[in-house]
Amino acid sequence: MDLETDLVVIGGGMAGLIAGTIAAEAGLDTILLRKGQSATAYSSGAIDVIGYLPEASEPIISPEEGLFALSRLYPLHPYNVLGYDKRIEFEKVMENIVGRTKDTVTWLKAHLDGTIAPLMGDFESNMHPITILGTTKPTCLIQKTMHNGDVQDREDSVLLFVGIMGYADFNPSTAAKTYLEDRMAAAGPPRKVGHCIIQVMPFGKPYNVSSIELARHLDHEGSIENLAEQLKEHIEQIGATHVAFPPVLGLQDALKNKEKLEELTGTTVFELLGFPPSIPGQRLQRALETIFTKAGGKMLLGHEATSYLKVDDNLKSITAASPRREIKIDAKAFVLATGKYIGGGIAGDETGLRETVFDLKPVTGDYHSAMEIVPSRFTSRLSISPTGQPIQSCGLSVDPRFRPVDEDGLEWAKNLFAAGAVLAGYNYSVEKSGLGVAATSGYSAAKNAIEFIKEVA
Amino acid sequence: MTDSKFDVVVIGGGSTGTAVARDCAMRGLRTLLLERDDIASATVGTCAGMISSGLKYRDEPDIMKMCSTEVVYWNHIARHIVMKNPILAPLLDLSDAASDSSYMESYSEHVEERDVPAMMFLTPDATLEIEPMLHPEIIASVYYEEYFIDPFRLCLLQALDARNHGAEIRTYCEVIDFEINDKQEIEGVIFYNRVFGTTERVTTKLVVNAAGPWAHKVAKSAKEELHIRLNKGAHVIFDRRIVNTGITVKAMDGRWVYLFPHENTTLLGTTALDTWEDPDTLVASFDEIEYLLQSMETVLPSIREARIIRTMTGVRPLVPDFKVPERNVTRGYRIVDHGENDGTKGLLSFLGGKLVTCRHMAEAVTDLVCEKLGKDIACTTHEKPLPGNEDDVDIIALSKEYDISLHALERMRARRGTEMLKVLEMTKEHPEWKTTICTCEPIIEAEIRLSIREEFPQTLNDLRRRLRLGTGPCQGTFCTYKAASILSEELGLAGDDFLVDILDFRAERWKGIRQSMRGEQLAQEELAQGMYACVGNLDQSDVDYDLKPWEEGH
Ligand SMILES: Cc1cc2nc3c(=O)[nH]c(=O)nc-3n(C[C@H](O)[C@H](O)[C@H](O)COP(=O)(O)OP(=O)(O)OC[C@H]3O[C@@H](n4cnc5c(N)ncnc54)[C@H](O)[C@@H]3O)c2cc1C
Ligand SMILES: Cc1cc2nc3c(=O)[nH]c(=O)nc-3n(C[C@H](O)[C@H](O)[C@H](O)COP(=O)(O)OP(=O)(O)OC[C@H]3O[C@@H](n4cnc5c(N)ncnc54)[C@H](O)[C@@H]3O)c2cc1C
Repeated sequence: MDLETDLVVIGGGMAGLIAGTIAAEAGLDTILLRKGQSATAYSSGAIDVIGYLPEASEPIISPEEGLFALSRLYPLHPYNVLGYDKRIEFEKVMENIVGRTKDTVTWLKAHLDGTIAPLMGDFESNMHPITILGTTKPTCLIQKTMHNGDVQDREDSVLLFVGIMGYADFNPSTAAKTYLEDRMAAAGPPRKVGHCIIQVMPFGKPYNVSSIELARHLDHEGSIENLAEQLKEHIEQIGATHVAFPPVLGLQDALKNKEKLEELTGTTVFELLGFPPSIPGQRLQRALETIFTKAGGKMLLGHEATSYLKVDDNLKSITAASPRREIKIDAKAFVLATGKYIGGGIAGDETGLRETVFDLKPVTGDYHSAMEIVPSRFTSRLSISPTGQPIQSCGLSVDPRFRPVDEDGLEWAKNLFAAGAVLAGYNYSVEKSGLGVAATSGYSAAKNAIEFIKEVA
Repeated sequence: MTDSKFDVVVIGGGSTGTAVARDCAMRGLRTLLLERDDIASATVGTCAGMISSGLKYRDEPDIMKMCSTEVVYWNHIARHIVMKNPILAPLLDLSDAASDSSYMESYSEHVEERDVPAMMFLTPDATLEIEPMLHPEIIASVYYEEYFIDPFRLCLLQALDARNHGAEIRTYCEVIDFEINDKQEIEGVIFYNRVFGTTERVTTKLVVNAAGPWAHKVAKSAKEELHIRLNKGAHVIFDRRIVNTGITVKAMDGRWVYLFPHENTTLLGTTALDTWEDPDTLVASFDEIEYLLQSMETVLPSIREARIIRTMTGVRPLVPDFKVPERNVTRGYRIVDHGENDGTKGLLSFLGGKLVTCRHMAEAVTDLVCEKLGKDIACTTHEKPLPGNEDDVDIIALSKEYDISLHALERMRARRGTEMLKVLEMTKEHPEWKTTICTCEPIIEAEIRLSIREEFPQTLNDLRRRLRLGTGPCQGTFCTYKAASILSEELGLAGDDFLVDILDFRAERWKGIRQSMRGEQLAQEELAQGMYACVGNLDQSDVDYDLKPWEEGH
């Protein structure tokens, strides 16, 4: 089977789905391939833009301030690529970076409104939501279900951490302890926290209860009332004003469920940031897929880009393979948004790294060739530290239009654009910049692809 | 400062020290075991767990005989933690065969007592039928069978059994000095309690130094010089049982290396490098990993496609035979009685030995201890079962009764034998504790709680040794924080300690993951970073984290 389209997006995480949506909204015929899992669905579902400068120890107050600092100190960071448009005077670069990032954030908030993953927060200041470990992290946008109201501002706030029997992903007593110690050190409210365990048994058993079962169960009629009923006693006991849940408040109706719980208990209810399997991550993934298809994009799930046809410096077509068929798709432009190791865009063994679809040449975080590196030598001795693992900064180097380049700095094809975690030059885990880079680069790569297609026409 | 009187203080909680403590306690001696870290935290935890027939030591017939006898004892006292592996030594050409075939006879001499068939040659077809992954061009193979034991559980069970017989077992207590009177007799032992940061002292008549590759350092605290040959060995570990049988092959340099299915994983080992480094700082090098892979690749061409999850490295505390290769150093052991040569009286140090012979070593030193104390009490360590080995367990019936998967129960049985019933009993009152915490192994919450209550772990790493927590393909990515919460709850730890435990466990896992990182481990590590750094923000945590020995330096 052969298809013809304007734009092919390879990869269906944050970067690919944003790129696809932008293109489809601009009227391009857009096909998106997604072979399987994406890091986007594993994420906590909060959108980081920039939380820390590399190796710094103080969180950044506002993403805007962070982007300024990055552009000075790390000119090759993917965020800075946003600025280098050829028509722009040098002084305007910074404005452009901030402008484009802000546009993306605004766009994302507007588009996800009314989906199952509505967002809140803004570009002016980072938020510090609480995680299931009882720690906090800086992030730019959270899902509305994660909004913890005035728990850290109200002098008399009392926070109750709620666990679910037989659900091992969240332990409310340790989270409560850890969070309280943190607040005591910061000398701020809440000054009192508590914890409790309630029973929710999607399958009638109080053990091996999973996130997805819980989320689905809470979407059912009547579950929230039952939850509120169980909570009342615990809330009264410690006089809780706020209630923290593991992020399982629903797959479809999480926000409605939160609001209903608040109404029934008279408290502020919110979800903590959690680990995979992550329901908010899945909500985000699904919401992005929804806006993409709504904009008219076509999604081919379970299809992997396996080979391509390139004539001179023009990428002509891509072959997408699924277990039962192979499709050749001709297109005018392509966006590569295949993610890093989890997504599958970059892979490697003891002899080096490679890009998996076009065999492009990956580089290290310092933009040296990563084709022959021994991965273990691009790691640090410390497992978890602000230095992070340099191997996580490897990926593709791109030109100012987000086109992957070879060693000479020349684009590999004039109509291939790349976005998201497949890019080199940043370590999202320590910077707290993952979904932000994916979103902004996806947004910009799509704009550039659209422009390219228009130019050619 | 506390002050208690002991007959014997055993230094070191490895296979040797725990065996000695058990023997001493079973003979009614007032026994204290001091271990600077945790039970089985050093050499023994990095070994292959082979309780071998002594095949490699055919030049030492009495060692081979000793090994064989010990295997019989292990099967008697610890069969629930013993397993048997068939092993193939495939030959690609005749030069791969050992130079003489006497090993076949030596091996076969003791087969009946060990309950294994005599060693035999197999045709290529027969070989490939057993292990189809082998190189199609092999000309023959040698088939034999060896027993393996879970080294962690063995040490722990020995320690628990010692405790059951009245011994005191103190982990995180590092011996730093001795009290020696003017007659050059040991009177006391001074140690640093790493949990409370205090120095303690006990009086004792005798000291058994079973500090493995640190034996010479311990001896030095008594101003004794002890020569020892330290030899580094590394293993590469795969994510599952990638072969049906064990495989041994001649390596690039003519040594023998092996691939053994081990618990849920497969071990590829080992290297042998003389070392003078602090054993705590050692990790496998790129060369060691390649040496092992390239050697095994000659008979198992697809080995590089298998998923490596980590490496592990230990140091053999050999007797000081020099100017011979490591493999020619005797696998016998020596007990140095320092008092015999005008040295400190009452100090006995071990050199050499093996996991398989640890009970024998203990018997010998305890005989000597008894003699010095003027007691005549017979050894019973080879007769009395270790905890959990009393009876068989019907996993299938239990699986139905408790609604826990067969696989989870089988793994639990392999750790605790009949003692698993205690775990299951706990789930009657707390059915929620049937929840799986470590899915790779798997381990349910009740077993973690039981272990914390009865097996004195202090850290997540201690739990790993007791339960194989976090030792599977994900290397603790998903269970670390869950188990840390349970530990924190049971021990009443502060929030900061909870986070430190997570960081410590990640650090220890990373020590082994890092050297061999490639393939799917890249994605696994992205996931771990995503969870603990990106979301958990632990890279920015301001808790008091102590650098580990292997993390120091640049
Ligand atoms: C545990 C964890 C938690 C995280 N939490 C956060 C967080 O809270 N906030 C935050 O901002 N960031 C977070 N991140 C980072 C963030 O998830 C990633 O940086 C981001 O999702 C990357 O998006 P992407 O679209 O570039 O890649 P991905 O989301 O990985 O998407 C790549 C896509 O490409 C597809 N693909 C790959 N190869 C092919 C092919 N050949 N053909 C077809 N399709 C292909 C994959 O199937 C996948 O759908 C987290 C990451 C992890 C691992
Ligand atoms: C790679 C490798 C593979 C092996 N494979 C096998 C095998 O398959 N079969 C076999 O039989 N043997 C094998 N061996 C050998 C075997 O593992 C060792 O000989 C044996 O386990 C050593 O046990 P140990 O108790 O003497 O030493 P260790 O296990 O090192 O125990 C010594 C203990 O003393 C403690 N200690 C040190 N200093 C102090 C102090 N000052 N105060 C308190 N405590 C202290 C240490 O923390 C340590 O726990 C292997 C060895 C290696 C390295």
